[in-house]
Amino acid sequence: MSDDPFEAIKVTFFQECEELLGDLETNLLALESGDTDIETINACFRAVHSVKGGAGAFGLEDLVRFAHVFETLMDELRSGRKPVDDITVRTLLRASDVLNDHVSAARGAGPAVDAERSQALIAELETLTHGAPVSAAPGAGTASAGEDDFGFTPLTLALDDLGGGELPPLDLPPLAFIAPYAPANQEQTGWKIVFRPHPRLYANANETGLLIRELGRLGPVTVEMDDSGVPLLDALEPNDSHLVWTMTLDAAVPEIDVRDVFDFVETDCDLNITPIMSGAAEVLPDLGLPDIGLPELGVSDLADPLELPAADASAGEVDIAALVALAQADTAARLNGEAPPLEVVSPAPQPQAAPVAARTPPAAAASQGAATQAPVTIRVDLERVDRLINAVGELVIQQAMLAQRVYESGLARSSDISLGLEDLELLTREIQDSVMAIRAQPVKSVFQRMPRLVREVADMTGKRVKLITAGEDTEVDKTVVERLAEPITHMLRNAIDHGLETPQEREAAGKPAEGTVKLAALHRSGRIVIEISDDGKGINRQRVRAIAEERGLITPEQVLTDDEVDNLIFLPGFSTAKEITDVSGRGVGMDVVRRSIQSLGGRISISSNPGKGSTFSMSLPLTLAVLDGMVVGAADQTLVAPLAAIVESLTPKPEDIHLVGGVDPVLMFRDEFVPLIDVARSMGFRDVPTELRGGVVMIVETEAGQRAGLLVDAIHGQRQVVIKSLETNYRHVEGVAAATILGDGRVALILDIDALVTTGRRRNSTRSDLKMAS
Amino acid sequence: MTKTVLTVDDSRTMRDMLLLALQDAGYRVVQAVDGVHGLEVLHQERPDIVITDINMPRMDGFGFIEGMRSNPDYSCVPVLVLTTESDAAKKQRARDAGATGWIVKPFDPVRLVDAVRRVAA
Amino acid sequence: MTQVTPNVAGTDRELIAFRIGEQEFCVDIMSVREIRGWTPATPLPRSPAYMKGVINLRGTVLPIIDLGARFGLQTGEPTERHVIMVAHVGSRLVGLLVDAVSDIVQLTDASIQPTPDVASESVKAFVKGIFAVEGGRMISLIDLEHVLPAEAEAEAA
Repeated sequence: MSDDPFEAIKVTFFQECEELLGDLETNLLALESGDTDIETINACFRAVHSVKGGAGAFGLEDLVRFAHVFETLMDELRSGRKPVDDITVRTLLRASDVLNDHVSAARGAGPAVDAERSQALIAELETLTHGAPVSAAPGAGTASAGEDDFGFTPLTLALDDLGGGELPPLDLPPLAFIAPYAPANQEQTGWKIVFRPHPRLYANANETGLLIRELGRLGPVTVEMDDSGVPLLDALEPNDSHLVWTMTLDAAVPEIDVRDVFDFVETDCDLNITPIMSGAAEVLPDLGLPDIGLPELGVSDLADPLELPAADASAGEVDIAALVALAQADTAARLNGEAPPLEVVSPAPQPQAAPVAARTPPAAAASQGAATQAPVTIRVDLERVDRLINAVGELVIQQAMLAQRVYESGLARSSDISLGLEDLELLTREIQDSVMAIRAQPVKSVFQRMPRLVREVADMTGKRVKLITAGEDTEVDKTVVERLAEPITHMLRNAIDHGLETPQEREAAGKPAEGTVKLAALHRSGRIVIEISDDGKGINRQRVRAIAEERGLITPEQVLTDDEVDNLIFLPGFSTAKEITDVSGRGVGMDVVRRSIQSLGGRISISSNPGKGSTFSMSLPLTLAVLDGMVVGAADQTLVAPLAAIVESLTPKPEDIHLVGGVDPVLMFRDEFVPLIDVARSMGFRDVPTELRGGVVMIVETEAGQRAGLLVDAIHGQRQVVIKSLETNYRHVEGVAAATILGDGRVALILDIDALVTTGRRRNSTRSDLKMAS
Repeated sequence: MTKTVLTVDDSRTMRDMLLLALQDAGYRVVQAVDGVHGLEVLHQERPDIVITDINMPRMDGFGFIEGMRSNPDYSCVPVLVLTTESDAAKKQRARDAGATGWIVKPFDPVRLVDAVRRVAA
Repeated sequence: MTQVTPNVAGTDRELIAFRIGEQEFCVDIMSVREIRGWTPATPLPRSPAYMKGVINLRGTVLPIIDLGARFGLQTGEPTERHVIMVAHVGSRLVGLLVDAVSDIVQLTDASIQPTPDVASESVKAFVKGIFAVEGGRMISLIDLEHVLPAEAEAEAA
């Protein structure tokens, strides 16, 4: 984090951009699906508008320029001047992709924007807006496009650009009479301003006194007030404005400075600004006012009792505070219609008190506000959350250690200490759950990136694809969310490239030309399941089988179920594409996808229906921080097996164990022979085979559905353990998924079931119905 | 006495920038994320000055100012509108809606604080 | 070359000297985070013999390297009298099993001499240089960068 607040805001800006662009895409997709609700269009407009606004503040000119053209078209849609049609929405979607690129480039997180593509889209957007591209030069030439279209010039007023704050050109009303009245050879000494406020000036909370105060910052000011326009009391409308002020500024400042003072009110008043020349007769502007002698301030009949010290005009300066008070009294009285009109100007201190009585009781107003309070959120640095999670992990371990010590000390379960420990355990578990919930995030952030991918892959493959997403709000731990993107990307690519047919093929098969790919997330039995289904041609099993045989992955004699054939595509090096396409042939096969999912403790499978489509289904743990495990013992070592992989635990009967080829044991389990893996030996903890008698077997299932029996010495029980990576300080160890710290304070290894089974099977060369990837 | 400024903007970036500039200038800043929220905060905080964006969800800046001006309590609280455009038509629209003045985005802190000072009693 | 004695003025490095068998080695004191007694480690499967396993260092899984075995020296089973130096190696934190910590030495870089050719290749791979201290002791300066097994080496073991 930077200490520079400006840099910190920039970080916020890019975070916000990410959210805005996500919203934009979501809403554009809603438009695409026919939801042309005005709020949807408005939301798109606002997203682009906010990106532009922030980008302007940071001087990101390319981004501003692109966003402006985008915004202009959105404004047309929003106002209903342009219908929301298919072609427009598609262009907007592509424009949102380029806008994304612009943001990434500005952030320094992506490559430079493809200028040609960007310019082409600008032209497209402008064509949709105006009927033709208009900006040959950036930001130029939008003048023809009607009153709501303004030639937008990106301004780059950065925070450090303090002096350079040149105002954008003011739209000054033609004031032809100013210049001619200034004889060329005379020196200007100041300005005379005649000012008659309109009622709306007060209604908008502007005040004459403040304007005078502002003018006073430019130089010495004398003020005269003419109240001759104030009607008789019975005709007085409290909200009308009747005073005329004449201000003389004794400083030869540029005219624009004087005009600036009245910038906010220039159309809410009659204003005449004329230069005062040295020695020259004062030039009186013609405001069409009754020509009367202008009395000095405070000398008018009505204002007489005010006794304003500011009236000392000879001093050349004005008591601003008094003027402000006067003007406020004036304003307040006007706005308080019930007040007697006389209070407008009579006793000075009181009018301020008058409007107070009209206020709603503050308490009532406050409670009104509290009733509709939005949920409050705070943003927290992830590092802090992680620190908390680590600390809670330690707490869990310490608690378990303490519990074990107490147990070992032989204290009765009903003792105060034991009971207190039980409460501590509950509390600890609750803290852990709450902390994990902090990091839980909806998968939306990943899903939101996919529509663009689908569009690009569709473009590249010449296919027409509609993406439907479901379950975006499904939450998983942040560690998992981050790692979902890659496998989902690969599976979506695969679904479009290999699953869907070309529009021609689809029509020939009696399907709509546009294919549908569905991406869904859901929770199922403590895991998150991501499903990607398409309505394409399904898996060509004959072809898959032929390839697998050709590559020696299976033998021609092997009998495989349909599902087994389908799942052959996950074998290493398998690719059904006839040629390496640009899309899914980037050296990444489904075997790599499967491995990356497995490394997260996940599994993937496919089910296919020829002619109807395929569904990829992957399931992942909800967190990579803790794991439900079975604690087992093997050769003096304590190990943890992931509970999710365990089908059943049993004590084997000697007659169920057979030796294949005289060496490799297999176990009869539910009428099926499963290889029996000696964990202690396989892990190198023991040289001699584990005694079968007294041993316990866990029947496990790999991600690919292969079963095996793991022979251990003893099963100690189930426990939730904190996952500690071995890679942090060492490296990956074959057969070990991770480590954890048990109640006795010692490190225990978490078994990598797939690796164990695979190694065991590899050794079991006599049984090779399916060779699996390591 | 420290003056309180209410900033109403749906963009966090913009809220942060306003906060930074106004705090540096010695104002107390309270924030709201849209017009509806703005009216709530208005009641709770009774700010001396209000700065509002125009394009916001739920209730836009025009609706917000209208809501403010229709309540006698807030009819004389100055409101500055944040606008990305500086043309006369946009300014007029802001005035018609009841705005006291405007700040053209992107703004620099000096200009922002200057605008606030100009309308603050 | 000048003989360097400890606590000489103008030193620019502090080193921790330790013993393995009869030999003395040292590492930069800045890389050592703490020194602790030996506790039994959880063995790692398919790892080189000098990897004694992993221990729990206040929640961190710390790999333990038997430094003597790593240098190809004869070492026995660790006892309670052995110590573990917890040291930074790159971004990793590792425990180095040694017989005992013997000294804190100060010296200038200029006093370090190249490893003589007589040293065995396995030691030379880890020794950056040697220097002499009072009493005629020779101390070898260790380069910790290579004490962790390379990926291929661990795989093959």
